[in-house]
Amino acid sequence: MPITRRQLFTSAAKVGVPAAVAMTAGTEVVNAETVPLPNAPVGLLYDATMCIGCKACVSACAQANDTPPDTRGDSLHQAPSDLNDVTRNIIKLYKPADGSAFSFVKRQCMHCLDPACAAGCPFQALHKDPQSGVVSWTAEKCIGCRYCTITCPYQIPRFQWAGFNPRVTKCELCSHRLEAGLKPGCTSVCPTGAVIFGPRSVLLLEAKNRIRNHPGRYYQNRVYGEKDNGGTQALYLSGVPFEKLGLPELGPESVPARTLRWQRRFYQYFALPAVLYAGLVQVIRKNLSAHEHEALEREKETGLRAQL
Amino acid sequence: MSVARDISVGELSDNRWRRAVPVYGFPLVNKFFLGLSGLVLVAFVLTGYRELAGLGPVSGMNDAYGWGIWKTFNVMVLTALGSGAFAIGIAAWVFRRKRLHSLMRMALLTSFLAYACGLLLLGIDAGRPWNFYWMVFPWKWNMHSPLAEVAICMSIYAMLPLAIENVPVVLERLWYFDSRLRPSVAKIERGLHYFFPWIIAAAYLLPGMHQSSLGALMLLAGERVHPLWQTPWLPVLYLGAACFMSFGCVVGTTMLCCLVWKRGMDWDVLEEAGRITAWLIFGWLGLRLVDIVFRGAAFTAFHFDRFALVFWLEVVLTALGGWLLLQSLKTKDARPMFLGYILSSLGGMIYRFSPTTLAFRPNPQALYFPATVEILVSLGFISLGVVAFLVAVKRLAILPAPLYEWHNMANYFRYRRPYIRWTGYFKYGYFGEDEPGAAASD
Repeated sequence: MPITRRQLFTSAAKVGVPAAVAMTAGTEVVNAETVPLPNAPVGLLYDATMCIGCKACVSACAQANDTPPDTRGDSLHQAPSDLNDVTRNIIKLYKPADGSAFSFVKRQCMHCLDPACAAGCPFQALHKDPQSGVVSWTAEKCIGCRYCTITCPYQIPRFQWAGFNPRVTKCELCSHRLEAGLKPGCTSVCPTGAVIFGPRSVLLLEAKNRIRNHPGRYYQNRVYGEKDNGGTQALYLSGVPFEKLGLPELGPESVPARTLRWQRRFYQYFALPAVLYAGLVQVIRKNLSAHEHEALEREKETGLRAQL
Repeated sequence: MSVARDISVGELSDNRWRRAVPVYGFPLVNKFFLGLSGLVLVAFVLTGYRELAGLGPVSGMNDAYGWGIWKTFNVMVLTALGSGAFAIGIAAWVFRRKRLHSLMRMALLTSFLAYACGLLLLGIDAGRPWNFYWMVFPWKWNMHSPLAEVAICMSIYAMLPLAIENVPVVLERLWYFDSRLRPSVAKIERGLHYFFPWIIAAAYLLPGMHQSSLGALMLLAGERVHPLWQTPWLPVLYLGAACFMSFGCVVGTTMLCCLVWKRGMDWDVLEEAGRITAWLIFGWLGLRLVDIVFRGAAFTAFHFDRFALVFWLEVVLTALGGWLLLQSLKTKDARPMFLGYILSSLGGMIYRFSPTTLAFRPNPQALYFPATVEILVSLGFISLGVVAFLVAVKRLAILPAPLYEWHNMANYFRYRRPYIRWTGYFKYGYFGEDEPGAAASD
């Protein structure tokens, strides 16, 4: 017995709908929530208790990345007040008015293991290198939407507001120097060793060693970046609360994994939208012919050409 | 051979919207139109300046507030108002609210203009728009990015299904314009009708996807969006707000047009639309409030700060609008209905505007207020939509009207302005052929 078109559609739907729902609901283990880790993640370990705030790393960063001096403050001194379109690395000072413990803090890209900027970037202009884990920006893919400045929980990527050909500036861990076998600019000049470069696992061991050797020196005896925001490749040790240094408490889950869970499932393999589309087509086919019929009836009744 | 069909007395008093009729007897160019065109011109000139100078000199955007009103108002808010083709279309085509078919042409036009103007401004807002060509290569998309979803889906929707849905109106105009065009017009129409189910279905799937993804955009901003707004339900709430706001926009605009251009109103259609809108509003408000209570964010609504103020403004306006709609359904009065649409849409607009701007707190010191140029460009691109709308309703059969309006229009052009041959709808063909139905009735 030959099957009619209706039977074909209904049996296809009987198989397709549960399959699509299963694909949507059951994709927990697929790459949606678990982002592949870089093979050999490298990073920075910054120990705020060792930093003397000399800003040698700021000028070394500018030199290594060939960024022009930012003298926009008083047209005289290079004194950027924050990260900006020519400043990839900056030293800030947290000094409470009540005279309690103060601390310097070095701010640059955290190179998150699951970066929110790259998760939101529409055409993968911000991209995490699968080998070193460095998050870098590609001019040829960036449309200048500035979504990265919205999504980054550390507010690191900065957009160039002037000029017809704006760029996004962020620390790229001096990847050009890494390729040449050199360390990043900031770590090569630090006089006290407050910021050091190395593989992430080694840095993590070193940080935990310091915590063990100096009980009571570090806030919560914790390495910021070990688990925070799904793990970052820039690790922080500090004597004052991390939040005071601009490092928000984000929990162990990365921002994209935490917030885009359902978004990612819904669009997995495009299964659910495809099923919805097929269903819509069927309903509208039926209703369209009824509507056309009515319009023709009205054409006969009024003597005026049918308007659909 | 009589050209005009005799109109019965019953038909004259029948105010049912039975046919889309162009607005006739009003000049296209007036002071309002010229003023809007002036704004459009100013915006175009300033856009040229923006392309050369960059975003900094023309806008109030800064490192903390990377998005200004071009994105957060012209795209986030106005495309919600322009979702009529989606919301009313689904009600009419999928849920078979047949009366709403008479509003479809208004819905399709307002949607297309809102999306087109929003997308144009999105291109101007992008810092490196020449890189948009990556959109052509699907394997370069970041499939999990809500922004990629919005950018790609919105462009495809506005350029293909939504634009194609607006084509039959233009074809109809061509059909009346010149009888020599009729065979080819009919051929194109047949082709279009064949593909219509697929086109219309895409026109419902795509906005459903990108209107919700617009909400998903701010999910990634995490705690920096105030807890009254930051919720995993943002995509659903954004989509819901777009639904009732677009009903408000389309029906409200239609009512306003009927007032301005002295058209009869069809209470049956208004009632149906009003009932659906009221349901949408209270369903949306319910979801919004339940979500806030269950997340434990309700206490922040009673803090004395700007966030609570914005929240209550939004909730009260929306609820008041919904209540007015319900009242108007009871009293069968069009005035509270019109006000209800305006207030509920305003509430929805505040909601759609908040997560990116009013309730976005990147850091305590951050401030954003749009610069003059930014506001002028934003206004200019809204004016562009309004100008295009005015041209369209006065040249194409968009606005729904009682049947006698069609015959009145034919008489108007035949007797009042006989020297115009190109106005189409009154002159039945180049060779003076008659309407097919009218010829048969003789």
